[in-house]
Amino acid sequence: MRSLLIVIAVVGLLSACKQKETPLPIFGEREFNGQDTTYHTIAHFSFVDQDSAAVTNNTFKDKIYVADFFFTTCRTICPIMKTQMKRVYDATANDPNVLILSHTIDPEYDTVGLLHNYANMLQVSSDRWHFVTGVKDSIYKIAQTSYFVTAREEQAEPDGFIHSGAFLLVDKHQRIRGKYDGTREADVDRLLKDIAKLEEEGE
Amino acid sequence: MRILPVVVAVLVFTSCRSKSDVKMEQYYNQGEILYTRYCSNCHQKDGKGLGLLYPPLDKSDFMDQNFEEVLCIMRNGKSTPTIVNGKTYEQPMKGVTALTDLDIAEIATYIYNTWDHKRGMINVNEVTNKMTKCEE
Repeated sequence: MRSLLIVIAVVGLLSACKQKETPLPIFGEREFNGQDTTYHTIAHFSFVDQDSAAVTNNTFKDKIYVADFFFTTCRTICPIMKTQMKRVYDATANDPNVLILSHTIDPEYDTVGLLHNYANMLQVSSDRWHFVTGVKDSIYKIAQTSYFVTAREEQAEPDGFIHSGAFLLVDKHQRIRGKYDGTREADVDRLLKDIAKLEEEGE
Repeated sequence: MRILPVVVAVLVFTSCRSKSDVKMEQYYNQGEILYTRYCSNCHQKDGKGLGLLYPPLDKSDFMDQNFEEVLCIMRNGKSTPTIVNGKTYEQPMKGVTALTDLDIAEIATYIYNTWDHKRGMINVNEVTNKMTKCEE
C-alpha cells in the first residue's frame, strides 16, 4: 500500500512539472470593461539621452526593456546596480528586442555631456542602453507613479538623494512584469530568466 | 577542568604563529571588512573594477608605483585622471573622510596582500607618518 502511494506521488510530481510555467505577473491596477481588461502601463514620457537624442515611449515600441533610477556621483548602491545592469547588457548583447533605460535622479548635475562620458566609461552603446536626463519633477513622478519606485531628494542621505535600487522589467505593451533588487546578483539572475520567459510569451 | 582543552588549544594555536603574523592577520581581516564596506561597491569585491569608470585593484601598476598616494587617496579622494595599466580613468573619486590612520593601514594591508599583491603588513605608524605628507 505504501509503495503504491509513493508511485502515485512520484507520478503526480512528474506530471506537475510538465504543466506550463505560470506567466509573469502584470503589475498595477487594472480595469475591467466587459471582456476587455485595461492594465497599468508606463505613462507618456519624453527625456533626452547621452547622445542628446529624444527618448520617449516610442523608443521602446515592440521592445522589452529594463529600467532603473540612479545618479553618476552616487557611491552607495549605484555602482553595484551598474555592475549588475552591465551583466544584463552583456547577457542580452545578441538580442535586439531588449533595451535598457537608466534615469538620472540628479538631472541638474548629470547633464547630457556627463551621461555621455559615463556611458563611454561603462563602455556601453547608446543603441541599447539609454541614460536619460530631463525635468526633475517628471523623472520623480514617473518613478513613483509609473514604475512604483522611490526617487527624491533627501538632505539627510549621504549623497543627497533617496532612491530605490530596483530594476523594472517592462514588456512590449509597456506593462511592468517584474521588479528586482538591482544590488543582488541572485535577483538579477531571476531577471535574466524572466526576460527569456517574456520573449517566449510573444504577442 | 573543562578549561584544560581551551588552554591546550590556545597554546597550540599561538605557538605556531609569531606575534607579527597574528597582527598581520588582524589587520588583514579588519581590512577586508572595511574594504567591503567602503571600497567594493565601485572597485568590486574581486578588485576588477568596472569598465573605465572604476579602475581595477587586483592588477594595478598604479598601485605598485604610487603606494603613498594610494594611502592619501583613500581619505582625500582624487579628482585628476588616473592612468592604470595604460588606461585612463577620469571619474573623480570622493575620499572617505571618516577613515582613521588605522583604518587606512588595515585597508592597505588587505588590498596590498590580496589578488596579485604581496607587500606584507602596512603598519599604522607608517601610515600616520605618510598621511602628514599628502597633497591636499
